[in-house]
Amino acid sequence: MKGKLLLPVLLVLALVGVAYLLLPKGPHAFYGTRLLNPKPVDFTLEGPQGPVQLSQLKDKLVLIFFGFVHCPDVCPTTMLALKRAYEKLSPKEQERVQVIFISVDPERDTPQISDQYAKGFHPSFLGLTGSPETIQEVARTFGVYYQKTQYRGPGEYLVDHTATTFVVKEGNLVLLFSPDKVEETEKVVGDLRALL
Amino acid sequence: MRWLFLLLGSVALAQAVATPGWVRLVPPVVKDTAAYLTLENRGKLPLRLVGAETDVAERVSFHQDHREHRGGQVVLGMRPLPYLDIPPGGRVEFRPGKYHLMLEGLKRPLKAGEKVALVLRFQDGSRLKVILPVEMR
Repeated sequence: MKGKLLLPVLLVLALVGVAYLLLPKGPHAFYGTRLLNPKPVDFTLEGPQGPVQLSQLKDKLVLIFFGFVHCPDVCPTTMLALKRAYEKLSPKEQERVQVIFISVDPERDTPQISDQYAKGFHPSFLGLTGSPETIQEVARTFGVYYQKTQYRGPGEYLVDHTATTFVVKEGNLVLLFSPDKVEETEKVVGDLRALL
Repeated sequence: MRWLFLLLGSVALAQAVATPGWVRLVPPVVKDTAAYLTLENRGKLPLRLVGAETDVAERVSFHQDHREHRGGQVVLGMRPLPYLDIPPGGRVEFRPGKYHLMLEGLKRPLKAGEKVALVLRFQDGSRLKVILPVEMR
C-alpha cells in the first residue's frame, strides 16, 4: 500500500511545483514609496562642464539626493548606500542609471566642488548646484526643505535638509526612498530593476 | 594598603572602554569627516567626555543627529554637543544616524586602510587613546 501511494503523491507535488513556476509573476511590489500620480519634474542646474537639464537625461533612470558637502555623517551615509546599489547593477543597467547629488549649499559648494564630492563616491555620479534662487526653486519642485543651523559665521554653519532619494523616470518623479529605506541595498536594486 | 590603591587606580583607569569603529573615508574635496566607535563606562562613576584630539584634523567635535519630519519626509541634520555623559554601566554608540565625532579641518586627505589615532578626554582628567581604521563606509 505504501509503495503504491508514493508515486501519485510525488506526481502531485511535482505538478504543484511546475504550476508554481509557471504562475505569472505579479507586478513588482515596490519597497520605496511609489507616487500614485507621477509628478513631472525638470530643472536646469550647473554642472562641472556647464548647465545640465534633467530632461536631457530622459532615457535614464535618475536618482537624486539633495545635500551639502560639509556633511560627514548624513550625506555620505546615503551616498554610500546609492554607491552600493549602483555597483550591484550590471554594466548594461548602470548605463541607464544616473545618480545626481544636488548641493543645497551653493554659497560654499561650487558646481566643481559638488561634482568632485559626487565623483568621490562613484566616478559616474554627477554633482550639481545653482544660484540660491534656482536651488530654492528646484527644492520646491521636489518638496525638499533645507535650512542653515548653528550659524557661527560666514562659511561656518550646518544645514538641515530633506534626506530623501528621489527617482525620476522619463521626466516624472515616480519613487522615493527615505534615508532608512535607501540602506536596504537588495530591495533598492529590486525597485530600480523594476523601473529599468 | 598600597596594593589596594594600585588596584583602585587601575579600576579607575579602566573606566572608559572604547570599541573601535572607523573613520569615514570621504571624497578628498571634503575637509571634515566623521569617526565612529562605541564608548562604554565600566566604572562606578558617571563619565563625561569633554574633548578629543587627533593629529590629522584641526579639531574634533561631538555631534548628535537631528531628525524631524516635514511634508511627510525625513529632514536630517546634526547638532553639536558640548560634552557627552556616559552613566556607570552605560554606553554611547557613535555610529551613522546617531552620534559622531566630527574631525573638522582635515590637514591632509586620508587614505583607505590607514590608521588614525584619536585621544578622548574626560572631565576627570583621564584620557583614552583609540586607533581607528579609515574605511569607506
